[in-house]
Amino acid sequence: MYDTQIKLLLIGDSGVGKSCCLLRFSEDSFTPSFITTIGIDFKIRTIELDGKRVKLQIWDTAGQERFRTITTAYYRGAMGILLVYDVTDERSFNNIRTWFANVEQHATEGVNKILIGNKCDWEEKRAVSTERGQALADELGIPFLEVSAKTNKNIEEAFYSLAADIKKRIIDTSKNEQAGAGPSVNVGDNGSSGAGGKCC
Amino acid sequence: MAESLSDTLWDVVICGTGLPQSLLALSLSRSDKKILHIDPNEYYGGAEAAFSLQEAGTWVNRLSLPTEAGSTRGVFRAASITKPPTASTSLSFPRAYSLALAPQFIHARSELLSQLVSSRAYRQVEFLAVGSFFIIKPASAPTSAKPTIVRIPSTREDVFSTTAISAKAKRVLMKFLKFVVAYDSDPQTELWQQHADTPLADFLHEHFKMDAELQTYITTLTLSLDGRISTKDGLAVIHRHLSSMGVFGLGFAAIYPKWGGLSEIAQVSCRAGAVGGAIYMLGTGIKNTTTTDGEIRLELTSGDSVKTRMLVRGDETVGGEVGISRLVAVIDSTLKTLFEVVVEGAPAPGVAVIALPAGAVTTAGGKVSDSPVYVLAHSSDTGECPVNQSVLYLTTLSTTDSKDVLQAALGSFLTAVSEDRVPDVLYELYYEQDLGSVESQTEDMIFHFPGPSLSLSFDDRTLGPVREAWEKISGGEAVEPDYMIFTDREGALDDDDVYD
Repeated sequence: MYDTQIKLLLIGDSGVGKSCCLLRFSEDSFTPSFITTIGIDFKIRTIELDGKRVKLQIWDTAGQERFRTITTAYYRGAMGILLVYDVTDERSFNNIRTWFANVEQHATEGVNKILIGNKCDWEEKRAVSTERGQALADELGIPFLEVSAKTNKNIEEAFYSLAADIKKRIIDTSKNEQAGAGPSVNVGDNGSSGAGGKCC
Repeated sequence: MAESLSDTLWDVVICGTGLPQSLLALSLSRSDKKILHIDPNEYYGGAEAAFSLQEAGTWVNRLSLPTEAGSTRGVFRAASITKPPTASTSLSFPRAYSLALAPQFIHARSELLSQLVSSRAYRQVEFLAVGSFFIIKPASAPTSAKPTIVRIPSTREDVFSTTAISAKAKRVLMKFLKFVVAYDSDPQTELWQQHADTPLADFLHEHFKMDAELQTYITTLTLSLDGRISTKDGLAVIHRHLSSMGVFGLGFAAIYPKWGGLSEIAQVSCRAGAVGGAIYMLGTGIKNTTTTDGEIRLELTSGDSVKTRMLVRGDETVGGEVGISRLVAVIDSTLKTLFEVVVEGAPAPGVAVIALPAGAVTTAGGKVSDSPVYVLAHSSDTGECPVNQSVLYLTTLSTTDSKDVLQAALGSFLTAVSEDRVPDVLYELYYEQDLGSVESQTEDMIFHFPGPSLSLSFDDRTLGPVREAWEKISGGEAVEPDYMIFTDREGALDDDDVYD
């Protein structure tokens, strides 16, 4: 059981290691070779924050970042977004601004964000310094962490700190208006034994 | 890096991300087929897209440009946007709106919903209840100086409790509703069979002695665009309406996908396709196709050249002579009275249906409407507009006067629903939509989907061609019972978490 559910999104260029971060955090596994992510919709992990069980539902881009064809539906109800680049790939860093603009356009106002520089274990190939990462994060007004999905450095910290920020913003201020808390109709569990097919 | 587009021999290239193409992508999302899914538009959804105000502006501008030689103009035309200079309120930011090109609602018994559930795609769509149906009666001196709005009682409980109609009318309606429940079995069938192809209204008059007003109540429930639906089709639609009542909860027969209707279903289906490994490109169309032994070569507008075993695309040709005119209006009222819960325990509806029967609308130029105007009113719960506003989708059959008819209908509607003041119109999008081709077509390895349906509720006939295309692509591997039946992807199995 859990007390709250939080929807998180991973966003960033192809090949920066979004799925690797996700798999490291959700399953503590790592695959070094580059495989386009197939079959991962989202992953779930329940964590504990200040004694409360918080279920993190973390969504991956399903390859739709490659040609910038992420659906607006992907952003619905997202409470936190991890903007990921690869510290060994200058381009992926430069594209963060575009992704940030996309998030501003499609995600709910006030959604929490964090800038993530992945592959920080690979010093000899590093193209983006920690300072530049921090400077960009400051400019965008969001927190920053360098991580390594390979060595598991800062992966936990990244997800935990984003979740904690969201908890502070939404849950602790008791403004728990989760997207979809409205009068939605459940079409899945057709438990209509009583009213089912009842007509006039 | 990822595989290049031109080195791959694709099993299928799907062009267009309208509902049928997107559902096809969903149906193939667990198939291991190599799929390239492209769309010449920069947005998802094709004829079922939903637009922010900015996107709507771009769309209207694009439609006003002359079509390039060799390409067809598609089913939409005569689009324009007006922002009436209103005093009190103004529009919110453009992204706060999501105006649906296909605001169709879906009956609870629709096969589309079964497929969304069995394919697990429904988990990513939020649905709202479609509430009451209303009729607007024109002003008739001396009893009412302004048009009035009346709720149509559409269930037996409803008929029983309504105060809007006489006791005699109640008896007649009760008798009819009872008849419809089993209309397709003996002895009821005998009653209507000989009238199958004549107008439903005539049958209602002859057999149930319904007066003009009751006939209008019933034909409104069918959402018949010309108001002259046949007895056979009309009874089928009303039966569907009644048997859909209560399937997903008390007091409603249909539901509407939040954030722009069928657009959302198209997007969620495309994402399912992507999760299954399909490659997505927007703003990319087909310039040229050449077919050589068992392969189609496609030159894409992106400059890429790709080869595929099959191509599936929409049919852009305009078929029939009938079309619809639609006026989408954003107004500064919540229209509270239209979205009331009428059955205790029912969810608050996000959609209301209001009809102005044929003859109920007179244009400024004195022209009387000869087919009904339907208003689909969406509350801000649909996510299509900010709170304190509503979106109205007015639809009627296209005629030379239909733009004026819709304007006049909007005026009557706003007067009829006004309490202390008449709501202001903040934004209007007008367009006309032609009926595309009606049947799917196959030539060699190219499959064409028919054009989009003009119906106001989702037409299950849209689903047939999707399955046809799926069968063609699956070839011998196709196993009927597996169509659109998938288990949840691992991430969705919640609660039993991997570890803490």
